[in-house]
Amino acid sequence: MKRTLTALMLLAGLLSASNAAATTAKDIKSFTLDNGMKIMVLEDGSIPNANMYLFWKVGSRNEVPGITGISHFFEHMMFNGSKKFGPKMFDRTMEAAGGANNAYTTEDMTVYTDWFPANALETIFDLEADRIAHLDINPEMVESERGVVQSERTTGLENSNWRTIQEALKGVAFSAHPYSWSVIGYESDIAAWSLEDLQQYHKTYYAPNNAVVVIVGDVKLAEVKKLANQYFAPIPAQTPPKEVRTVEPLQHGERRVFVKKESVSTPNVMLAYHIPATSHADYYALDLLSSILSQGNSSRFYQGLVDKQIATAADTYMPMSFDPNLFYILGVANSGVEANTLELALLEQINSIATEGVTAEELEKVKNIKLINFYRDMETINGKANTLGTYEMYFGSFEKLFDAPERYNTVTPADIQRVAQTYLIRANRTVGVLAATEESDK
Amino acid sequence: MRLIKQSIKLSLSALAIASALSLTGCAVTVKNAPETVVETGSFSLPQYQTVSLSNGLKVNLMVQKEVPLITLSAVVRAGAVNDTTSGLASITAQSLMLGAGGQSKAKIEQTLDFMGASLNTAADQEGSYIDASFMTKDIDKVLPIFSHVVMVPDFDSTEFAKLQQREIVGLSQQKESPRAVIGRYFNKLVFGDHPYANPSSGNSESIATLTIEQLRAFHKGYYQPSNMTISVVGDFDPQQMQAKLEQAFGYWQNTEEVVQANLSQGLPEMSQSKVLLVDKSDAIETTFVIGGMGISYDNPDYVGLTVVNTILGGRFTSWLNDELRVNAGLTYGARSGFVPYSKAGVFQISTFTKAETTKEAIDLALKTYARLWQTGIDQATLDSAKAYVKGQFPPKFETASQLAGLMSDMYLYGFDDNFINQFQAKVDGLTLEETQRLVKQYFPQQHLQYVLIGNASKIADIAKQYGEVTQVDIKDSGFGQ
Repeated sequence: MKRTLTALMLLAGLLSASNAAATTAKDIKSFTLDNGMKIMVLEDGSIPNANMYLFWKVGSRNEVPGITGISHFFEHMMFNGSKKFGPKMFDRTMEAAGGANNAYTTEDMTVYTDWFPANALETIFDLEADRIAHLDINPEMVESERGVVQSERTTGLENSNWRTIQEALKGVAFSAHPYSWSVIGYESDIAAWSLEDLQQYHKTYYAPNNAVVVIVGDVKLAEVKKLANQYFAPIPAQTPPKEVRTVEPLQHGERRVFVKKESVSTPNVMLAYHIPATSHADYYALDLLSSILSQGNSSRFYQGLVDKQIATAADTYMPMSFDPNLFYILGVANSGVEANTLELALLEQINSIATEGVTAEELEKVKNIKLINFYRDMETINGKANTLGTYEMYFGSFEKLFDAPERYNTVTPADIQRVAQTYLIRANRTVGVLAATEESDK
Repeated sequence: MRLIKQSIKLSLSALAIASALSLTGCAVTVKNAPETVVETGSFSLPQYQTVSLSNGLKVNLMVQKEVPLITLSAVVRAGAVNDTTSGLASITAQSLMLGAGGQSKAKIEQTLDFMGASLNTAADQEGSYIDASFMTKDIDKVLPIFSHVVMVPDFDSTEFAKLQQREIVGLSQQKESPRAVIGRYFNKLVFGDHPYANPSSGNSESIATLTIEQLRAFHKGYYQPSNMTISVVGDFDPQQMQAKLEQAFGYWQNTEEVVQANLSQGLPEMSQSKVLLVDKSDAIETTFVIGGMGISYDNPDYVGLTVVNTILGGRFTSWLNDELRVNAGLTYGARSGFVPYSKAGVFQISTFTKAETTKEAIDLALKTYARLWQTGIDQATLDSAKAYVKGQFPPKFETASQLAGLMSDMYLYGFDDNFINQFQAKVDGLTLEETQRLVKQYFPQQHLQYVLIGNASKIADIAKQYGEVTQVDIKDSGFGQ
């Protein structure tokens, strides 16, 4: 029988429906090594597999001009050789043991994900410990990896309108804070950072006291503890990294940016509003507002834009974030619809929430959607690992999961209206337009 | 991201493509090394029962209690191969959601959204799919909507006109991303006039001609109890579920003989290398696919080929990714895979690189591919690939929707539980000698087919070097000539 997380179900605030076998919050075990590395374990034998997620508190917010994109580049370099496992051997060793991996970098953090048959657990510890403690940055690997990352940047811009417009928009929406540049960085920086930059970056940020580790799957806590003590505990802690000091100044008027791309068949319009960090009390109301605007065909955007043949798609995106960030809206115009028309239609929907609010039924609907999406995350060992780690990172402790149900449940229609009135206002927004041709001066 | 994770509709092809690689280039080939079997834990398909409703409709019931959710999936044996007008199967499937059983599209969507439930309809080459996911407690609200959508869609004319218009625009928008459309060009190039060439999306001209009468006829002809199956996976009581399904579907009768094309007939043979050059004038990179005919789903060597492809281009350390990405820095990723259908399939190598290195990347892909015949596979690499394929297998069948999708594929492609339950043993049994036979028998070596999407003014001269070139503009309707 698979196990269920009562504690996590509480997150969504509904328990009565569940007849699934439940375990208690105590099933999430956590311990912290003397070097400051926090490790969370959840035993789950539903398939003979397990995973290890390593969350590092380093992302593009820790960069400065000249080394933009280095956090992401570093994510790549972590696979390119260490003391015991030389170039290529990290992947070869893991795959020969039946494991696979990936990694991703955001504005705030870098996350490494290993998926493996549970009996390969020790191999995974060995591999991870070696690259954390003894990364060996090979100059030749740095050069070929620059080409890889340039290709990653190019293929993103070639295939994704979102990437193209977001990169330009962030540069305008943020005038001071490092969220100004894209996670992948500027092309010139990718070509230019030095070996010394990389070595310094590893020493500063890849210290055990700057990481959170989550292991979920067909493993035993005692075994994980033993291996963590053997492989991770000897890695010395470092002086904690410097805080990011810059606070983005308040925006006092709408900003605009235009990007021309010939192959874009209909205009794309992105709106972005400054909002507080995820740790702010308004996070929950904003998150529900985002769903009311865009989730499902009964959403405000579908009804007001897609069904009216103004847009073919309209979506929202609100990243979890350490520092105050942006609430994104992206609309894709239907044929024959000008960017300006699309923009006004998006604004009409936003403004109507600010002036008239939302119904109780609408709010209940998005709470239900949040609940079911949460269950879907909890259906897999990967979803569990990612959710636990994400809460630990953005809310300070995975135990904060227990506060979340109450936070979502107490959000009222008035709260939704208030956050719309507070944040989704003209003076606080940046508008980006991506289209094949720019309007003339007339 | 470190690498792109691709999701492919068919779970088995996802398996074939998601797996990956081996010791390459500088690796020492130890042909006589002893075989090492890596133990990855045992995995078998969760138990389920198959029952027939009173009208003969087959239903699979699989209980999974981890979360209080249910996935309800119907699959109909009808897809783009049955199109009389390109896109008919797909638009019919999408139009099921335009109102059903007298309830409007908006009313249905509102009801489902309020429960957090989802109901999606789509068609691909050989199947049409109706998939719902919802909370167990909502079964009695979702099931009537689901059954009406399947059996008695309204095909409302106002909503259809809107959908049709959005689909036509959507086809142009999809072409903004070469990666999103290159597979359709490649299928057309390989299969020519055979039904497997039909893109399920249709094209902007064909979609414009579709009528509601065509949709009704397609629905009547293929959506029948004898031509579909339903799979339910999740947290429910099987007896109660069977009774509910009987009530919802049991009275529904077959109306006419189902006519299916003979897909074994008229399969193409590649007699010369062809290059389809798709001009995208503002392209900042070249996206390309190289390949030819592959295998069908029921091929007895399917599992062995999955392992061999893992070595060539199915995992991070695969030959292709190692050479093109890790050694040469030409691309963010290079891979290969078999895409199987019921009676045939394609094999393809795919990657992308900046326009200036197009020739270098194609040549390196071909040179790396040729290693299959020139040097073959060594024991250590084979052992590693076998461990990898086995170790990455269980998470592909972990969720209710993955398991329901698997049972839908079993219905469409005619394989059974043994595919899962004998998978590990089949992988373990693969020998080096077998890999040589598989390479010789199945991987296309002669008359390779190419699709290049990029800036033709920069790469047309390069394209000529690989075969007879046909050039189209990406903005032209359709996916090649």
